[in-house]
Amino acid sequence: MNDLCADIGYKSINHFGEQLCGDHVEVSEFDEDSTVAVLADGLGSGVKASILSTLTSKIISTMMANGLSIEECVSTIAQTLPVCSVRGVAYSTFTIIRLLHNSVAEIIEYDNPSVIMLREGKVYDYPRSELSIGGKTIVKSVIRLRDGDIFTAMSDGCPHAGIGEAYNFGWKREDIAKFVEMLAPIGYSAKTLAAMLVDECYKLYGGLPGDDATACVIRIRKRAPMNLLFGPPSNRDDCDRMMSLFFSKQGKHIICGGTTSTIAAGWLGKPLDVSIGYDKDSDVPPTAHIEGVDLVTEGVVTMSKVISYAEDCVGENRLYEKWSIGKDGACQICRLLFEEATDINFYVGRAMNPAHQNPDLPINFNIKMNLVQELSEALKRMGKRIKVSYF
Amino acid sequence: MKITVCIGSSCHIKGSRQVVEQLQYLVRENDLGSRIELGGTFCMGKCQQGVCVTVDGEFFSVSPETVNDFFETNVKAKLLG
Repeated sequence: MNDLCADIGYKSINHFGEQLCGDHVEVSEFDEDSTVAVLADGLGSGVKASILSTLTSKIISTMMANGLSIEECVSTIAQTLPVCSVRGVAYSTFTIIRLLHNSVAEIIEYDNPSVIMLREGKVYDYPRSELSIGGKTIVKSVIRLRDGDIFTAMSDGCPHAGIGEAYNFGWKREDIAKFVEMLAPIGYSAKTLAAMLVDECYKLYGGLPGDDATACVIRIRKRAPMNLLFGPPSNRDDCDRMMSLFFSKQGKHIICGGTTSTIAAGWLGKPLDVSIGYDKDSDVPPTAHIEGVDLVTEGVVTMSKVISYAEDCVGENRLYEKWSIGKDGACQICRLLFEEATDINFYVGRAMNPAHQNPDLPINFNIKMNLVQELSEALKRMGKRIKVSYF
Repeated sequence: MKITVCIGSSCHIKGSRQVVEQLQYLVRENDLGSRIELGGTFCMGKCQQGVCVTVDGEFFSVSPETVNDFFETNVKAKLLG
């Protein structure tokens, strides 16, 4: 056991005119701290490619997660994939990255562009060895993980981007590596890095991708706990208990809600400074400051906004540019929860706010409780570990 | 003179942003920046009467529609009168 964890994100774009992607990424966690990510690229594009790559990645990840050897996985794939009637072959290239207890990475590559690995922000040429399994040449590497390692797996749609258009020979692997090297120190999440890489491919293709292109990024990082307090406890006598539990936890502390922050300020014996600095293009109330607390914001309005960003983030990730630089309370919470945190503890108070029972207002108690539910669901889908305690 | 406006959820929905911005504008227009301190606060526990505003501790219920009148009678008149 160590304090490392993996942040995994991926994105695909489809061959133009196709509704399905011929690449598929499958990420599955098997026992605590171990993960398998498989990126498969099916022959051709469209439905056939999609079926091949989905089958390949699902079969491999299920088998690997259950501890079977790479030889068995590859021979199973070779025997089970449906054969293409046009070309007479069953074919899907793949890259497997298996992380064991977040301390060792095993990379297995078959015909995909080789994985780009960064260590300490620089491209790192990891040792590779070749194996021959059932007539197929497989490249295998075993690497001991360190904090800050970044692995980028991709389908050949990435290095082929821009062939004959922007570049004569496409976007060369070395140039992709430089691109990732340039972005890595900024601290983007894996999902964002993958999206930026694939978006760049889309541009190089001139908006008409000649192949499906996929990138899957794995960032190895230290666990970062984060604590969020939302709402006063239903029983006033629980205030002290709630506050001492919240403030005794390791990591950053975020407080959402006016009454809640007043209670916290009182408990800490520090003044609560509320700003009236509205952000120009934001509909979220201003933030506040209490010494010793990393962020203090208003409650429901801010939280609803955070959830809309969270849902977009696990879906199409279109609003990224808003929350990644925005100054309002919601954007600040987003950056702390989506990018910085790996483990999030919610301390949710169930006190009824009399002001919220007004039927003219778009907020009520049920909505408030649902907010926490929805947010933790979305955060779980981002790969965060969530703990919710109610008071 | 210190004017404090609640920017908590309930008052926010009732328009505390417009109230704050209008007050900032009125203070500037009347050149009272050196005599009035505008600030924010979270819930004052009188959400039903929002937007909650206090002037040197005295409570007022203000809305975006009444903010101009409020400024004339409770701020300007007191300061200049």
